[in-house]
Amino acid sequence: MVRVIAAASLFAAAGCATPPDRADTEAYAEFRAINDPLEPLNRQVFQLNQALDAMFLRPLADFYRILIPPPMREGVHNVLTNLRSPVILANDLLQGEFDRAGTTTGRFVVNSTLGVGGIADWATDFGLPYHNEDFGQTLAVWGSPEGPYLVLPLVGPSNPRDAAGLAVDSALLDPVGVITLMGEAPEWLITASRVRLAMTIVDARSQNAEELDDLQKSSLDFYAALRSLYRQFRNAEIHQGRPPANTEGPSLDDIPPIPVE
Amino acid sequence: MPTTPAVCHSLSRRRLLAAIVPGAFGAAAASWLGRPSMAADGGGIAAGAEALVRNFAAEGLQLLEDRSASPAARAERFRALLQKYFAVDAIARWVLGRYWGQFDAEQRAEYRRLFEDLVVYGYVKRFGEYTGESIRITRTQADGEMQATVFSAIDRPAGAQPVRVDWRVGGREGAYRITDVIVENVSLSQTWRSDFAGTIQQGGGPPALLETLRLRTTQLKADLGVRG
Repeated sequence: MVRVIAAASLFAAAGCATPPDRADTEAYAEFRAINDPLEPLNRQVFQLNQALDAMFLRPLADFYRILIPPPMREGVHNVLTNLRSPVILANDLLQGEFDRAGTTTGRFVVNSTLGVGGIADWATDFGLPYHNEDFGQTLAVWGSPEGPYLVLPLVGPSNPRDAAGLAVDSALLDPVGVITLMGEAPEWLITASRVRLAMTIVDARSQNAEELDDLQKSSLDFYAALRSLYRQFRNAEIHQGRPPANTEGPSLDDIPPIPVE
Repeated sequence: MPTTPAVCHSLSRRRLLAAIVPGAFGAAAASWLGRPSMAADGGGIAAGAEALVRNFAAEGLQLLEDRSASPAARAERFRALLQKYFAVDAIARWVLGRYWGQFDAEQRAEYRRLFEDLVVYGYVKRFGEYTGESIRITRTQADGEMQATVFSAIDRPAGAQPVRVDWRVGGREGAYRITDVIVENVSLSQTWRSDFAGTIQQGGGPPALLETLRLRTTQLKADLGVRG
């Protein structure tokens, strides 16, 4: 055990970025803002993820897109989304968002019945649009800081807050997860749960295929661009799509006034 | 990159689609714009900003719909639009952040040129993706005397949710310019800034960024069949 910890800490040390000298205030401020002290390790995991993706996931997602016609893929996507309702509802409630909890419940009822097990998303047409919630967002609403940027093996961009959120969502807030954790799950449910996970991954990858390709092509440093995107997305999600006005950005405050003729 | 549940719920298709850097202008520029929104009453900057965005969208639409022009001609027309409506110098400089000081005059000039090329050719390459989307200005808000945000939505074909695009506009009366485009809460300038900083750090300095930009813009031009 001690050897494992020693090896792990060595590994972690090897993956640490050296912070710049505090005296160099600009460089130090940037280091803090990027908030990626494990960058060398993260980049390695990122490369690993990319390689695994190219070998397995991407081909699988491409097959899925070629073999299954769009309406069927849409149905699969809707079913998977519907199955996530209990997790979304739990997080709506934990954040005190009772209106949104009502929307989530309404969506689940409408789509599970009229939508035949969630295949069709009638709820959106009835004025109950989808929104995502997860325990990572709940932690943020509760005031937890995000912690340093992390690239998780297989999972991708994350941070300690979102990683903990993912664990809580899948084990404690998802009904199937709870039953499995209690050791009460029958064999068929465990199988169904695995199929669901596999389908969720393939569905997500096939939905994002072109967009990720585009980002990869348009960015110079895909890793850094994705890190920035992930943070901006999460920040917007945490604030229900209305993040506090970001005053960061190019400005024209320092241009001279136009001379009066 | 494997996108398993945590990520896929964050990076939903609509948001990703919208967020991809060169996609934004293409779709955003593509448009018919309605009447001025009633909210543009914050005085000078708000009205000016809204007019600026509306004019850019109208001119952008003409460019997108003219499918007969050669890629080179489209690129030059888009470059002219970019220079007319965007604060390219301020954006290019802000994107470099603290590294601006590490570039000498010659490197700055080359960077400025390459940055513009990256934007121009990157977007022109994606003009073909335009499928008749329209843009609506929903409201405009003054954020002080020299800054305003124009909120808009790009309506997509049946079924798909509209994409939200916010335009940051700065400047003074008669000299307003767009300083940032924020697509579904993702700022293009912010994303470029991280992207470029990553390139500089990984490559060890300004020459690394310039070299990467040279390679990328050359490739984009080759893909478009543009010479020079």
